Amino acid sequence: MATSAPASPSDAAPAATETVVPTGTDMPRDVALLVFIRDRGIFILWGLLLLFFSFWCSPYFATWTNAMLVANAAAITAIFAAGVGIGVMTGVLDLSLPGTAAFSACVLGWLMTHGWSVWPALLVGMICGAVVGLVNGLIALRGFNPIIVTIGTLSALSGLAAVIAGGYTFPGLDALTFMGTRRYLTVPAPVYIVAVLFVIGTVFLTRTRDGIRLMAVGGNAEAVRRSGIHSDRYKVLGFVVSGLCAALGGIVSTALTTEATPEASPSIIFNALTAVALAGVALTGGRGSLPRVLVGALILATIANGLTIRGVQPYWATVTTGVLLLASLALERFIQRSVSDRLMSSANLSVHAKKV
Amino acid sequence: MSTPATTPAAKSGATPALDLAGIDLHYGYVRALAGIDFTVEPGEVVGLLGDNGAGKSTLLKVMSGAHRPSEGTIKVHGREVSFHSPSDASAAGIQMVYQDLALVDAQDISTNLNIGREILRKGPLGWMGFVDHKAMRKRSEIELDRLGVRTAPMTRLTEMLSGGQRQVVAVARSAIRVSGESNGVLLLDEPTAALGYEQTRLVEGLIRRMAEQGIAIVLVTHNLPLCYEVADRVVVLNRGRKVADVPMEGTDPDHIVGWITGARASMFDAVP
Repeated sequence: MATSAPASPSDAAPAATETVVPTGTDMPRDVALLVFIRDRGIFILWGLLLLFFSFWCSPYFATWTNAMLVANAAAITAIFAAGVGIGVMTGVLDLSLPGTAAFSACVLGWLMTHGWSVWPALLVGMICGAVVGLVNGLIALRGFNPIIVTIGTLSALSGLAAVIAGGYTFPGLDALTFMGTRRYLTVPAPVYIVAVLFVIGTVFLTRTRDGIRLMAVGGNAEAVRRSGIHSDRYKVLGFVVSGLCAALGGIVSTALTTEATPEASPSIIFNALTAVALAGVALTGGRGSLPRVLVGALILATIANGLTIRGVQPYWATVTTGVLLLASLALERFIQRSVSDRLMSSANLSVHAKKV
Repeated sequence: MSTPATTPAAKSGATPALDLAGIDLHYGYVRALAGIDFTVEPGEVVGLLGDNGAGKSTLLKVMSGAHRPSEGTIKVHGREVSFHSPSDASAAGIQMVYQDLALVDAQDISTNLNIGREILRKGPLGWMGFVDHKAMRKRSEIELDRLGVRTAPMTRLTEMLSGGQRQVVAVARSAIRVSGESNGVLLLDEPTAALGYEQTRLVEGLIRRMAEQGIAIVLVTHNLPLCYEVADRVVVLNRGRKVADVPMEGTDPDHIVGWITGARASMFDAVP
C-alpha cells in the first residue's frame, strides 16, 4: 500500500495536478465527441445515405411517394426489430419471433374465419404473443439458455400454427385491410402502427420505472437484484414485450397480404437482427435505444429502395447491408477502445495504471 | 489513527445496530463458523480480519442474509430477526457492498443510485409509472453531498467513471439506503482492494463520514493499514473461530498479525 504512494518522482508534479481531483467534473471533449458518434452515428449515417440517394437516384428518390414506399417497406422489419431489440436490451435473444408471429397470425385467421369479429380476434392474437413470451420467460428462468429455449418454441409454434391452419392458409381476411394496405392522409397504415409502437416503446424504456428497470436488468441483473428488486420478473417481462411485438408483426404481415400463413420465415429474424446490430445494440444487453433500431430498419429499406430505383440487382442490397454491418462493428470497436484509452490517460486515472 | 473521538454513539452501551450471538454454520461436515459473537454499534466501524478461509466471507454472508446459520441468533437494533434471503436483510436495514461493485454500466449515476427507490411523477403520469428524473437527480446530489462525496455529474454513465468513482457510487448506493431515520448497517467487502492511493483515501474518508452519521459499518479486509485508518475496533477470525476482539487504538499491529496467522493464541482461550 505505502509503496505505491510515492510514484516515480519525475512525473510526480504533472500527475499530482491531474489526480488531485479524482472526482473529475467533466469529460474530455474528444471523449464526448466519440460518445456522441457512438450514440448518434446511425442517424448521421442514414442522413448521408438519404443525401447520396437523393442525388444518385434523382429525381425519383426524394419524393413523398417514395418516402412512403421506404417507410412501408421498413415497417414489418421495424416491428420485429423492436421485439428483438427490446429482448436484446433486456439480455435475452428471442429467436422464437417468426414462430410467435405465425402462431398469432393463424390464431387470428382461424378466429376470423370462424365468425369472430375483427377486434376481439386481434386482441386474442396479441394475447397469444404475450402468452408465448410468458412461457419462454418462465422456461428460461429455470436456468436454460434462452437461445435454445426460443429455438425450441420457434419449432413448436410453427408446427402449432400449421396444425391450426390444417396445412393450408387462411386467405381472404379482407376485414384487416384497414391496418394493412389502406392509407390515411397518403400514409400507409403500418407506418402509423410502427410510429405508435416506437413512441410507446421509447417512452416506456426511458421514462417509466419498469422500463428503466428492464434496461438495468439487461445491463446487470445482479446489480438490480441486490437493490432489492425481483429481477426475474423483469426478465420475463422482456420476453413478454418481445412476444407482443412478434404477434403485432405477424398480424400486420397478415393484414398486408390479407392471408394468414403458418410459414415461420427465418428471414424475419435475420432482418430484424441486422437492423438491431446496425443500431449498435450490444448483444450483451443493457444498451441501445429504440429510435436507433428504427433507423436501422429504415437504413435497410432505404438501401434496397435506392438500389432498386437505379436498377441495380437486388442482391447488391444484401451485400451492401452486410458490409455496412461489418463496418459498423469495426467502428463500434474502435470507439470503445479509444474512449477507454482516453479515459485511462486523463484525470480519471488510478495510480496502478500510471505506474507503468 | 485519530478515530475514536469522532464516534459519539459508539461504545456507550447503546443497543448494538447488529448483534450476532453464538453463530454456527456447517457446510456438510465442515464447520465454517463456530460460536461467533459479533456486535457493531451505530456509528462504529468494525474491521473484520482473517486469513483466506478464516470465515470472514461466510460471516459476512450470514449478516447479509445470503446464508442461514445452523445455530445462533441475529438481532438488529435489539430485535431478533431471521433472514431467509438478502432482501430480508436489506429490509431490516442491512446493506452489503460486494467486491464486484455490481453497477449498471450503461446507466447513469442517478439511475444506479435510485434503482429500487425511484421517485414517480405526481399525478396521472406517476400512476402510469413515469419516473421523475429531475427529482431523483436532485435527491441523489443532496445525499452525496451529505456523504461528502462529489463525483461526476449525475447524468454521467457509470462506465465513464474511474475505479475510485465507481467504488464511491457503489458504496453510496448502499449507504443512502441505510441512512435516514433508523440508521442501518453497512457491510463492506474489501472496498479498497482495486484502488490506487488517492482513491483509497477518498473511500476512507467516505467510510469515516458515514460512521459519523451513525451508520454501523463492518469492514472486511486484508488490509491492516486500512483498518488503522478507519476502524474503531477489530475482530479477528481464524479457522471459523473468533480469536480477537480489540479496540484498534493502542493495539500492536504485530499482535493482530499474530492472531490472523494463528501464531498468537486466541484471547478468548485465556479467559475460561
